[in-house]
Amino acid sequence: MIWLTWRQFRAQALAALAILAAAAIYFLITGLQMHHAYSADLAACTPHHDCSDVLSRFGQSYDGELNLAQLLVIAAPGLIGIFWGSPLIAREVETGTDQVAWNQSVTRTRWLAFKLAGVGIASIAAAAVLSYLLTWWAGPLDHINGSRFAAVTFSSRDIVPLAYAAFAFALGTTAGLLLRRTIPAMAVTVAVFAGIQILVPTLIRPNLLPSTTVTFPINKTTASRFTGVYTSDGGAEINIDLPVPQGAWVISAPPVEDSSDQVVAGYLHSDCLFPNTSGPPTKTGAPPVSQIAACLARYHLHQSVTYQPASRYWPLQWYETGIFLALAAALSGTSFWWIRRRRN
Amino acid sequence: MNPVLQAHALGKRYGQRQALADCTLEVPPGRVVGLVGPNGAGKTTLLKIACGMLAPTTGRIEVLGEQPAAGPAQLARVGYVAQDTPTYASLSVADHLKLGAKLNPRWDAKLAQARIDQLGLEPKQKAGKLSGGQRAQLALTVAVAKRPGLLILDEPVASLDPLARRDFLRHLMESVAENDTSVILSSHLVSDLERVCDYLIVLVASRVQLAGETEDLLAEHYRIVCSRRQDTDLPPELDVIWSEHTGRQSTFIVRSQTGLPAGGWPAEHLDLEDLVLTYMERSAGRGRRTATRTTGDAR
Repeated sequence: MIWLTWRQFRAQALAALAILAAAAIYFLITGLQMHHAYSADLAACTPHHDCSDVLSRFGQSYDGELNLAQLLVIAAPGLIGIFWGSPLIAREVETGTDQVAWNQSVTRTRWLAFKLAGVGIASIAAAAVLSYLLTWWAGPLDHINGSRFAAVTFSSRDIVPLAYAAFAFALGTTAGLLLRRTIPAMAVTVAVFAGIQILVPTLIRPNLLPSTTVTFPINKTTASRFTGVYTSDGGAEINIDLPVPQGAWVISAPPVEDSSDQVVAGYLHSDCLFPNTSGPPTKTGAPPVSQIAACLARYHLHQSVTYQPASRYWPLQWYETGIFLALAAALSGTSFWWIRRRRN
Repeated sequence: MNPVLQAHALGKRYGQRQALADCTLEVPPGRVVGLVGPNGAGKTTLLKIACGMLAPTTGRIEVLGEQPAAGPAQLARVGYVAQDTPTYASLSVADHLKLGAKLNPRWDAKLAQARIDQLGLEPKQKAGKLSGGQRAQLALTVAVAKRPGLLILDEPVASLDPLARRDFLRHLMESVAENDTSVILSSHLVSDLERVCDYLIVLVASRVQLAGETEDLLAEHYRIVCSRRQDTDLPPELDVIWSEHTGRQSTFIVRSQTGLPAGGWPAEHLDLEDLVLTYMERSAGRGRRTATRTTGDAR
């Protein structure tokens, strides 16, 4: 069975290996240059105690490459699901060769076990290589950007891509087994995988662990801690940037509310926000943050922020990895059950 | 000797469509069984159930004393060549032999190699590039080299030209004779089976119409041409399978396990093709308008 699994997977494996090798060479060459330039820039600016401008310019210059590289690592599990998972059984059924494979002296359960294990491990390994390369390559950029929780960043670093690869592969395989045709199975795999990539960062990941909510009353004492004030929604809302711990993932920061938890309209307090003008609210010529806050302190307002502290990065990585490995196992279990029970 | 295949009230339903109904069979060992019937009669369904590709909806089946595909040991004893003789298009002839060797404990590498040499197949050739006849031969080789106790072949010659057809059947018979294998072979053409089968199953409209040793079946059926008379005017020990009446004369096809009673009728035996066609026609309803008495399902 090992021989057959390898023999049938050989062409796909070699193609994947070529792509991985190309990616590795690209990451290594550009990565070494970037890491070198980063240390050089850092060494140059440190004596002047002002690195933020230099570093943010450094980060911006790699924006395009970073986005592409992240896209590659996020898409890789999907591609694995489509090109390795979906055809795994569906193509056998389409060409009738399932009748060859399942009538040798090997039960179909065993046949499926070897297929799932062999190609599944290859899937996880491919994702591991890509994820490791990107996590290393983007190290300086992630450091500059501060937060590792951005949707695309989190999904393409460290261990979650491995679980996504296992999940997408099991998804493609199961879809192929149930639908018995490769193309529809590919379509289902793409649709579900894309849906998951949108749903997880927005709805699931923020709620995997209880988040921290901090409420600041707006008064003279707290005013000094505000980092920015601006109005949004045409002046209907006031937003104040609160200091959150370094590297935290801000999940929600609702606009300023009054003592009865109602959103406060910005134009009601234009005397504080725009003391020098009576015209429509603009951002130009605004007074300093502390002055605005001090002015607003009279109205018993408060501002809250909900975030995951930076220390949750690894727990969240493990949680999400666990969830998708469990889903992959459940899909594989479905395949085993189906291949044994439902012969049609 | 235990039967190679034993089915009781076997049925398979696909949604609304009944593909196989109430199939009760007992196939003795050491035979080459011809499974005949028109397209869509349920031959493939029966064979797929027998090799474990399909699970029956109702009834029981045992192949070589075990449920089909019950485990590796049962799988090892049944060889199956599916309809259109599928092979892995991207695998070479040699790869197919290697596949057989890796996946079957009783694989006979010498036999497989000898057959490939005899057929003149190039080991490095991809199976996808073989002709239909060569592909069928390759599929048969893989199935035969397993050294199965029962070999199941679903319309193996349907897509072959007459020469390749004869070749294939000749090779099949040689392998069977050498290895003492039982064979079940389906076709919608009786002429394919005539020369090779010693046991016959006629399957029409999802039901078994007739099953038995070819020799016995041929000996038990007669065509009687006589002056016009009703079916009921014939001796009761004759089963009227089919009858046709013209103005002055009647033609009957009858079955009698005890020989033909005296009566001075001009009777003759049928050849296999006529026999099968009679049963096919009868169950297709064409002969029924005049057949007043039918035997119902075959024993």
